[in-house]
Amino acid sequence: MKNYILFGGSIFLLMVAGMLTIEGCGNNQHQEKAAVDGSYQFKEKLSEYGFFKNNLKDLDPQPGVFHYELATPLFTDYAVKDRYIVLPNGKQMNFVAEGVQDFPDSTILIKNFAYTNTDHKKIMIETRLLVKDPFDKKWKVMDYLWNAEQTDAVKHIIGARLPITLLDDDGNKITTTYQVPNTNDCKRCHINNDIFTPIGPKARNLNVTVAGHEENQLSEMARLGMIAGLPDISTVPVLPKWNDAKHFTLDQRARAYLDVNCAHCHTHGGDAYNTGLFLEYQQKDPPHIGIMKEPVSAGGGAGGLNYDIIPGDAAHSILAYRMNGAEPGTAMPELARTVIHKQGVQLITEWINKMQKQKK
Amino acid sequence: MKIIKSFSLLFTVSLALMVSSCSNPAASTHKDGYNTSLSFGPGDESKIVEAFLSIKDSTDILLKQGTYKFENLSIAQVKNIRIRGEGFDKTILDFSQQTSGGEGIRVTNVNGFTINDMTIRDSKGDLLKINMSRDVVVNNLHAIWKTADSTSGGYAIYPVLCKNVLIENCYAQGSSDAGIYVGQTDTAIVRNCKGAKNVAGCEIENTLHAEVYGNEFYDNTAGFLVFDLPGLSQRGGYVKAHDNYFHDNNFRNFAKAGSFGTSWGVGNASPGSGVIILAASNIELYNNRILNNNSGAIILASGFAVDDKAVEKINDHYSPISKNIKIHDNTMEMGNSFPEPVYQHHIGKLLVGIEQKLNAQDPTRKNKRIPYIMYDGVSTNLLTNGTTPNPDSLCIQQQGDNIFVNADFININNPKVWHPNTEVSAYNCK
Repeated sequence: MKNYILFGGSIFLLMVAGMLTIEGCGNNQHQEKAAVDGSYQFKEKLSEYGFFKNNLKDLDPQPGVFHYELATPLFTDYAVKDRYIVLPNGKQMNFVAEGVQDFPDSTILIKNFAYTNTDHKKIMIETRLLVKDPFDKKWKVMDYLWNAEQTDAVKHIIGARLPITLLDDDGNKITTTYQVPNTNDCKRCHINNDIFTPIGPKARNLNVTVAGHEENQLSEMARLGMIAGLPDISTVPVLPKWNDAKHFTLDQRARAYLDVNCAHCHTHGGDAYNTGLFLEYQQKDPPHIGIMKEPVSAGGGAGGLNYDIIPGDAAHSILAYRMNGAEPGTAMPELARTVIHKQGVQLITEWINKMQKQKK
Repeated sequence: MKIIKSFSLLFTVSLALMVSSCSNPAASTHKDGYNTSLSFGPGDESKIVEAFLSIKDSTDILLKQGTYKFENLSIAQVKNIRIRGEGFDKTILDFSQQTSGGEGIRVTNVNGFTINDMTIRDSKGDLLKINMSRDVVVNNLHAIWKTADSTSGGYAIYPVLCKNVLIENCYAQGSSDAGIYVGQTDTAIVRNCKGAKNVAGCEIENTLHAEVYGNEFYDNTAGFLVFDLPGLSQRGGYVKAHDNYFHDNNFRNFAKAGSFGTSWGVGNASPGSGVIILAASNIELYNNRILNNNSGAIILASGFAVDDKAVEKINDHYSPISKNIKIHDNTMEMGNSFPEPVYQHHIGKLLVGIEQKLNAQDPTRKNKRIPYIMYDGVSTNLLTNGTTPNPDSLCIQQQGDNIFVNADFININNPKVWHPNTEVSAYNCK
């Protein structure tokens, strides 16, 4: 009997090995190791995960796939974004007041990117997945590129450039080449101090009442049992909504915008750590925010200007200049944007122009 | 127990089968201590891009002889990687068809990175940027922009925020900033390299424990720079440069920021500068041949020379005033006149003014050139209202005549009191 089990087991192992070998020697010769070591394997197609009901492109979530929004989102070429959290069955995330929430192993974060075409139709571009791999407790990333038929999205690691014509928030037609990131591009924004981490789901940025909802989003998550340890919601920090001038000051909105659009790189340990320009919402030091700060390695990107921010003078401030450009080498952020975010430029320009001028 | 043992043996056999049954000729194992060895030739560009993106720890990639065209390449968050060609004149990586700009090769958070034996050329941004990595070796690499003007990227070879960097037998050309630039790094060696037609041949910036020797930097705007800038992750210092040959650095300054007459970073380097030390401390410069850099062999300037707000930026990570600078036993020569581009440069014009002033205030100089070592004269006495001679422990030991000038920058805009002084005795090494 024992021998029988041993024999059966070994056949099984050899079969597994054989299958892995075939897969490993296909289009990617590195996969065999990953499969053997037990780390998370992304599925080939988005549909294989079963996140959504019926037509995949409707993004109608199955139970357990939670749609969420952020108070102030990253600008990506006027893309229409849908975000979802998928927690493993019966697991919760732990509330973290500052920074990204403490997600359980096997959490999947889904972010879908689409644009509005000239017929006002939503066209799917890509879907990005972040998975917290139980194997090594690290977040892993994969991009799925939607097919032309808009029926499914397929695993895609090398990035892509897609010519599109989109409508911006005011209905203006813009033609551009949308940039789908490769997996190392993803890391540029998502790595901090050599640790790959989600960016959006911070308490302050989740702390919002989504349009059409009665309840605060974090409270709703707590009610659904998704989050543990949520304190009294009035004590949770708030990230201002960048375009809500009714409830937030100009300074709050500008700093929130810079936090979300810049601070994943422009922070201690981020990809732009070397620049000394740090744009986190909590940053207090004027030179680190860019006020009368000279560039370090901007080269031509600085447009011949001397300071990141000259209070009262946005026209001569590198920060506003680089946001208002689309040329590679000038445009900031370097990734995820090929068109100018006019409303963002307007906000930052107004913020700089209303800063108190300094004595020379 | 016995069964478990047999079982694990079988499992091992299965693993071995899996690896060995991969018949891809490009992949083999255990080459020079790397778990995976991959080899590619010209035409394999898309496979190479994918191999870089999906690279695993302990991988050696050989790019065989030929010319490759890439948009860009990147490696992130892995350990023990080697990228190699078959020689700088054999394996050529060409980035001239980039549409989206950015670096040619971008390396981030790699622990153990070696790149050697190839030429990389003509990217829109930096050619090789190595960010936040450890144990980095760049060897026999040529990094080149064919046109030396402001269309070139900033840095040819660019480790920043790294730990333990060796750059040797490399050549950098055409950078609109520095050819070899080591920034915010702890422990670096640059040796037996060459650099020409860059704004700066080589720059060590906010970097601790750097040794620069056996190099030749020529035909740049400035040969060799040691800078400390404010507001960065660390203060630099403990930099030694010796047995180098810095010569004929008289090229116009084509730094991008300089095109509008502005003045930060390397845009401040005057054409004709051999060595510039800016706001950096604990530097030793010796046994170098510093020849025919016709605006100044060695320029020692404080942060005040380029930033009137420098005093507000003083903190643990920045002091605008250089301390503990040792300059000795260098061979220095200069040509008969300033290089032509100096007259278009804001710092260059000051150097011309210093020479004119010295010769006007002392006819016995008989129209000699500006002295080899130009010190801006801004010392901690400025901050303390002190009068101590040589409060910042400068030490200069050089043979010959016309060695030194304290250019009295503080009064340079006040012609009545401005008095550059060539008396070196207070600064002689003790």
